[in-house]
Amino acid sequence: MTWQLTKKHNFDAVFDSQKLFRLLLEAISNPTRIVDIKEIADKLFGSYPELLAVAMTLLDNETGFSIYGSDSLSADIAALTLARREAVSAADFIFVCDKSGIQEAIEKAKYGTLAQPHKSATVVIQSDGAQAGSLTLSGPGIAGAVEIPVSQAVKDALACRAAQNYEYPQGIDLIFVSDKGELMAVPRLVKVVE
Amino acid sequence: MNSNYNYAFLDEGSKREIRRSVLKAVAIPGYQVPFGSRELPIGRGWGTGGIQLTLSLIGPADTLKVIDQGSDESVNAVNIKKFVGLCTDVETTNDTRKATLIQTRHRIPEIPLRNGQILVLQVPIPEPLRIVEPCEEATKKMHAEKDYAPMWLQLYESLVKYKKVTIPTEYPCMVEGRYMMNPSPIPKFDNPKLHRAECLYLFGAGREKKIYAIPPHTEVVSLAFDDIPFERESFAGKKCRLCGSENTYLDEIFDPQTGERFFQCSDTSYCQEVRRHVSE
Repeated sequence: MTWQLTKKHNFDAVFDSQKLFRLLLEAISNPTRIVDIKEIADKLFGSYPELLAVAMTLLDNETGFSIYGSDSLSADIAALTLARREAVSAADFIFVCDKSGIQEAIEKAKYGTLAQPHKSATVVIQSDGAQAGSLTLSGPGIAGAVEIPVSQAVKDALACRAAQNYEYPQGIDLIFVSDKGELMAVPRLVKVVE
Repeated sequence: MNSNYNYAFLDEGSKREIRRSVLKAVAIPGYQVPFGSRELPIGRGWGTGGIQLTLSLIGPADTLKVIDQGSDESVNAVNIKKFVGLCTDVETTNDTRKATLIQTRHRIPEIPLRNGQILVLQVPIPEPLRIVEPCEEATKKMHAEKDYAPMWLQLYESLVKYKKVTIPTEYPCMVEGRYMMNPSPIPKFDNPKLHRAECLYLFGAGREKKIYAIPPHTEVVSLAFDDIPFERESFAGKKCRLCGSENTYLDEIFDPQTGERFFQCSDTSYCQEVRRHVSE
């Protein structure tokens, strides 16, 4: 009897995570810019390869994570990155697989302290990518104010985050991915301009 | 490439931690994010913060430039370039425009950087409040409470004693009206280049274990009083003896044999470019 060993994914822990990190850095430094992570996400598997790609790049056994909406993604992230599963209020990274989890995830996410604002959660949200209007954003990384088309998930998440009224520098940072491989980040200082 | 080490020397766990800190630093401009500074084959204080940032950022698609006090050819710059080259095989350049990643010490290049370029600055003392408060716990609390009165008092005392602010380099600035930040030992001349820039600035302090950042289009204002505006170094009436530039930061060089003093551009690659244009 011969055994056929197959690799579950082709994501390169050194080069693909470097590439994805640079795209993430580009997105978070230029908050209205959408970067394309499809090529890298396609190397992974499951229903949420984009979320898994972000997890593979940033998570390890020093971080805790929590997930809304997919037990299988939770198992895959734990197995591939060795990150700890945590309660939402203690998680460094919260992955939200569908819109229904956005409000609770943001309300419960840890937002740091005035002295240690970096001890806050990054919430990574899967959006369906379907355009649901536009928003004008302003803040560091954006020249003036820029109007961009956004999905319903982005609208909901930004409205929910604004409703928390965090005292800066406290706050949470948001990353959005779509199943088309688009990634956008909205750090805490970037606000919707009415 | 030396294959006895991981790509870009650091292990992946170290890079990931630095990368997480970088993302937080960009999200909170001017805030010093603590990180677990790693051992490197050079001593702390020789640019290890900058090197760790560079190693965590760099990939095969990058072109690296390293400058030290504006020069591409000084010992620190050459050795860092060689070290990163040894463990990554990336292309290196002296041309500011060609570089995607620039590591620097004490200067920001004269050519305005574009969006997409990253400038990594080596920082010896990241804490701008250290000169007024030696205790780290106390400065952390001062930042939390945005209590910058002692620093303003320091500037005021300097005005009273010397009739001008006497801080020549590491001139503190306010980022987005919230955090007081040390821009690293760049001359005051370079401070305005931080304000609403196109590129991303990352600051790494290896010995002090801090990373901070200024994303593009971020408000960075050098400290000044309403009636005493911020002033850069003035080189009025002086020009570079090599390229003739009158709008650059100039080094003063003294010839002990002749007793002659002359000036030349501190940014060597800019100076060479101007001379090339003139000769063409």
